Amino acid sequence: MNTFTWLLKREFWEHKGGFFWTPLVVGAIMLAFIAVSLLIAVLGLGDGMQINGVAVSSMANQVTAEQKTAFALTLVAGYAGFSAPIFIALCFCVFFFCLGALFDERKDRSVLFWKSLPVSDHATVLSKVMMALGVAPVIALAVATITSTITLMLICIAAATLGVNMFGEVLGNTATYLAPFQFAALLPIFALWALPTVGWLLMVSAWARTKPLLWAIGAPVMAGILVAWANRMFRFDWNVGWFWKNVVGRLLGSLVPGSWLTEGARIAHGTGDLGGYGAFSDLLAQSWQLLAGVNVWLGAAAGIAMIYAAIRLRRWRDEG
Amino acid sequence: MSAIISAKGLTKRYGNILAVDNISFEVPAGRIVGLIGPNGSGKTTALKAILGLTPFEGELNVLGLDPRTHRDQLMQQVCFIADVAILPRWLRVCDAVDFVAGVHPKFDRAKAQRYLASTKLKPAMRVKEMSKGMVVQLHLALVMAIDAKLLVLDEPTLGLDILYRKQFYQHLLEEYFDQNKTIIVTTHQVEEIEHILTDLMFIREGKIVLSSTMDDVGMRFAEVMVPAENADAARALKPLDERQVFGKAIMLFDGVPREKLAALGEVRTPGIADLFVATMKGTYA
Repeated sequence: MNTFTWLLKREFWEHKGGFFWTPLVVGAIMLAFIAVSLLIAVLGLGDGMQINGVAVSSMANQVTAEQKTAFALTLVAGYAGFSAPIFIALCFCVFFFCLGALFDERKDRSVLFWKSLPVSDHATVLSKVMMALGVAPVIALAVATITSTITLMLICIAAATLGVNMFGEVLGNTATYLAPFQFAALLPIFALWALPTVGWLLMVSAWARTKPLLWAIGAPVMAGILVAWANRMFRFDWNVGWFWKNVVGRLLGSLVPGSWLTEGARIAHGTGDLGGYGAFSDLLAQSWQLLAGVNVWLGAAAGIAMIYAAIRLRRWRDEG
Repeated sequence: MSAIISAKGLTKRYGNILAVDNISFEVPAGRIVGLIGPNGSGKTTALKAILGLTPFEGELNVLGLDPRTHRDQLMQQVCFIADVAILPRWLRVCDAVDFVAGVHPKFDRAKAQRYLASTKLKPAMRVKEMSKGMVVQLHLALVMAIDAKLLVLDEPTLGLDILYRKQFYQHLLEEYFDQNKTIIVTTHQVEEIEHILTDLMFIREGKIVLSSTMDDVGMRFAEVMVPAENADAARALKPLDERQVFGKAIMLFDGVPREKLAALGEVRTPGIADLFVATMKGTYA
């Protein structure tokens, strides 16, 4: 194994809680919640429960073949979305991981131990970037795929118990099997889009002497307020909203899964109806459309510049 | 053999304060150098410069490399313990060994494990569960298994009890040091390292005030227990320092021939601690 692999391993040892146990626990809680809900529905305890306007308790009698097919299709198209909470949790974990990545080691002075080994600063910082944008999302995706697959099966089993057998429609649809791959295909977009936030957090993490969270959030927000204030004060006619969305928003919020979609939708506008209940492949297409725009590349360039700054800072930050 | 470290006009400023003031020195291979100085004298800053952890002015050559620009290559050959108990709290003993074995080409895993086996450390133990002394044992096990040309120790035993301190230096001397290695060590517990040092460097207010081999120290400095009747004659030879013990004056001389001193009273080689105190007189005044 080479140095870089060991660095990733070392990050995993330190952050096993955030990157491994968190998605697992979130997934387990979701499954428990869904299982209990379905059990209540199947046992007829929740009389008011409805799916697509059909009361669950009398599903088998009322549901038409068309309704069944429509429901199965919705399920197939959207089941990967069941695990959204895992990606929300990932977003928080990566945010705080980046914020602490180069700060905590200075705070507890263990940076001197890491620096006593023949590992360069750029290898160290890049291993943290890789952890945040590569390893962590892949683990989350794996757990999410398992969670949503189990959820899908649970729903099908519950429906079957109520006399509506959708297994054929669900398992016979290629979209069911494609969904995890489509999700995986979003990872490069996620990584590219999240670069400015990861770069910004790592840079603050390498720079701040105390309170990195305050600096990381305070600096861009204050800048935004200042721009708004100056604009109002001196009637500059600046586009303050643009600054908040493209600077403050990108520095702090680019880790939010799917936050690129507002951008992608604008670029993809006119290529078809992508709003509302578009199938997952539309979402994918819309996401990759992003690459046609300038915004994502400017953000990525800024992110890379800030990562480079973090490397330089780690090299020369003198802890006295 | 050429010098492991050579400094010329090494200077480091923090704002207006000169932490290291235009110092020049050479450290040849196979030496154990004690860098001794009061708090804030610039010891740690000098070591940081050597390890490429801080920018500086002047010339500094460590194993033929400039630590400012070639730190990554330098760290293949250099190892350091910067402070006690700074291993990351979450690290396990077995992971630490695996990691260093993975990233350091000169790490001898068997050696580290042999040393660990002689301690109470267990492979699954985390640093946060260890006492300060155990952390140092782990750190030493890792560092001693690295075949580095230069080892820098900055207060490696600070805060440890005497058992751990003795053990630390004993292991270092018996199992690590050989003529191909060079060690630089700073500490305030001067008495404990004086028997292992080959060279001595006193640093005060950023300047080197004494740089000598231990053999030369023995030749150059002498401590004389002077009875009261010889006191004036002895003072005429301008002792560095004088203190009173049981009515007798103990005077420290620099460069006065021993035959001359023998006439005044009982002569012996001073301890580094006494030499240090005499040299640093007035530092905090």
